[in-house]
Amino acid sequence: MSVTPESRRGTAYVAALRQKMPNSVLDESWQTAEQATITVTREALPEAVETLYYGHDGWMSVVVGSDERLLNGNFAVYYVLSMEGVEKSYVVLRAEVPPQTMEFPSVTVKVPAAVWGERELRDMFGLRPVGLPDERRLVLPDDWPDDLYPLRKDAMDYRERPQITTETETYKFINAAKCETTEVPLGPLHITSDEPGHFRLFVDGEDIIDADYRLFYVHRGMEKLAETRMGYNDVTFLADRICGICGFTHSVAYASSVENALGIQAPPRAASIRTILLEVERLHSHLLNLGLACHFVGFDTGFMHFFRVREKSMELAEVLTGSRKTYALNLIGGVRRDILAEQSARTRQLIGELREEVTRLLDILLGTPNMRQRLEGVGHLDKKVARDYSPVGPTVRASGHRRDVRIDHPYAGYAGTPVGQHIMDSGDVLSRVLVRSKEFFDSIAIIEHCLDNAPAGPVLVEGFTYTPHRFALGYTEAPRGEDIHWSMLGDNQKLHRWRCRAASYNNWPSLRYMLRGNTVSDAPLIVASIDPCYSCTDRVTVVDVRKRNTSIIPYKEMERYCRERTNSPLK
Amino acid sequence: MFKLLKEVFRTGNATVRYPFAPLPTSPNFRGKPQYDPERCIACAACTIACPANALSMKTDVAAGKRTWEICFGRCVFCGRCEEVCPTHAIALSPEYELAVLDRADLYQTAEFSLAACRICDTPFAPRKEIDYVVALLINAGLPEAVAEQRRAMLEVCPACKRRDEVSRESGFSGLHHIGMTP
Repeated sequence: MSVTPESRRGTAYVAALRQKMPNSVLDESWQTAEQATITVTREALPEAVETLYYGHDGWMSVVVGSDERLLNGNFAVYYVLSMEGVEKSYVVLRAEVPPQTMEFPSVTVKVPAAVWGERELRDMFGLRPVGLPDERRLVLPDDWPDDLYPLRKDAMDYRERPQITTETETYKFINAAKCETTEVPLGPLHITSDEPGHFRLFVDGEDIIDADYRLFYVHRGMEKLAETRMGYNDVTFLADRICGICGFTHSVAYASSVENALGIQAPPRAASIRTILLEVERLHSHLLNLGLACHFVGFDTGFMHFFRVREKSMELAEVLTGSRKTYALNLIGGVRRDILAEQSARTRQLIGELREEVTRLLDILLGTPNMRQRLEGVGHLDKKVARDYSPVGPTVRASGHRRDVRIDHPYAGYAGTPVGQHIMDSGDVLSRVLVRSKEFFDSIAIIEHCLDNAPAGPVLVEGFTYTPHRFALGYTEAPRGEDIHWSMLGDNQKLHRWRCRAASYNNWPSLRYMLRGNTVSDAPLIVASIDPCYSCTDRVTVVDVRKRNTSIIPYKEMERYCRERTNSPLK
Repeated sequence: MFKLLKEVFRTGNATVRYPFAPLPTSPNFRGKPQYDPERCIACAACTIACPANALSMKTDVAAGKRTWEICFGRCVFCGRCEEVCPTHAIALSPEYELAVLDRADLYQTAEFSLAACRICDTPFAPRKEIDYVVALLINAGLPEAVAEQRRAMLEVCPACKRRDEVSRESGFSGLHHIGMTP
């Protein structure tokens, strides 16, 4: 797409960078009017990221590694920053890393939000961020060979499996506590959850002093799969499957990343339909989390009622897409189904019922004294910590930051829709619940707005060709926060590189700070408040360092303790 | 507490009778793909469109057979197969009860016989697909006799057609042997 220089947003950031580091900026390219990729020298990368992050209201969206040896002889790293100052745009800082050294200076030292991204670069490409404080594996399992980097283009065929190298766990959990603590492992997994994780709580009595966790037990290798086996349009159906709750938002993010790279635009009607379905997804996701909030404080009647009402949002998805999940509706260039008059009428009826019923349920929920008592002041995420780690969605909005992709970087048909911004300052579990409950009603308003104002016309553009090695970002505000996809097209009708980053990826690193200073019985509540799958905390092993014994407490018991808070299993 | 009780009474019984009574689905619900082997011409368009590789096609040249197969365990119910099928042989149905006790029951297959090349005698394309093309030609207004004559050309495999193209310069055309003048 020819981006005219006048229409560009974010030029001030590029100018500021050029002014501060005139000899470090090597190249500047614009993918869309609000996406710039700036190639800087390797040595200048940390300072460049820091300048944009702290100096110009940048937030770390994702770190992308790419094996570009066949294109330019080097590996490349892309640090995607969402610029949320006066001008809203995306600025991507790119640096090339030569395959001879594989080294580049770590950004994490200056911007902690890059920590997971850089650990993943080590795992997937064997790139070495020099100075990275945490060099443990992030994604790869303990038994994975040291010299096999899955996302390199010359890695082992994706259908093969390497010989396992060890039978024992070699992962070291970090404990920053000064005093003597007891170790409480939570996890590792429940096979039905989307993000099983293992939590290691370091406790003194009942108080959590520090926490560490490990995820990616079920890393599905989707990026590799897409790059090696699937065609461009097939990947939209794979992107749907990234999450069992918010799949549609991923396929919109993926489809729009390719659309942005090619400079094509989904027709306005398709954009409106995408918006409606994205909000339908938010309705059922927020109802799920509100229901779980009830469940974890022992208010199971509320839990049942939220899930009963949630069924209406599932029906909404079924009416609009033919599937109880909003699956398989996107293609690159638009959507596959139009919304017809009778579907539109049924949608209005269902969201009317939802608005009325959820209003009543929330009134009951927030009027329950036990609720406030359990949620207020628990799992506090400090505003400064949030700034350092770039969390997204209700998690960051409940900690006093104005971040919402729908407002900052309007995509699909969000421009002009009544998206409210609900910001709370207390940063506790209660405020995250309140932010979600307010957003619920916004979603209903947005759906109504789109049904009223969707322009007529086609829902899909076709007949475009794919240009090799073009790349761009696609982004959406999933129910849990910003989802971002970076796609580079290949020359064989397959993606050269696809990086998809789900919202929770950005929320996990700050969870540690939310857990600190709380009691063990609140741990499941806090974990659930960032809305990952709650089954993450499946089983508990208690290691008492002082008594040198280990006991396993089943998850049910841990959950019971969270709900009843009597008869501690730790005694 | 009072509000909660009111809500409980207002709701009444929310439990549905399923599985003892059928659960209605919305119109256009995307469920189990319904396949009609009578209509299928084994063109393989659906197997190319399927993002999940639930549909596949295997050709056994020695036996002169092509096997179409669907695995319901892999199906993601997207309906891409329905979109590309030229003969409406596959369409998504409202059926959603797909659980089986035996894994083999997740598969459905159909076998098609292949037509042999008139020149090299190697089986290469489904007979039904060739019949379908001839029928299309007749439908497009070609006299039946002419269409049937074209069949001879359709029943030559791509390799032989290519070889013929090359050897035509030397004055020999394999297609003459089967009564076709290209």
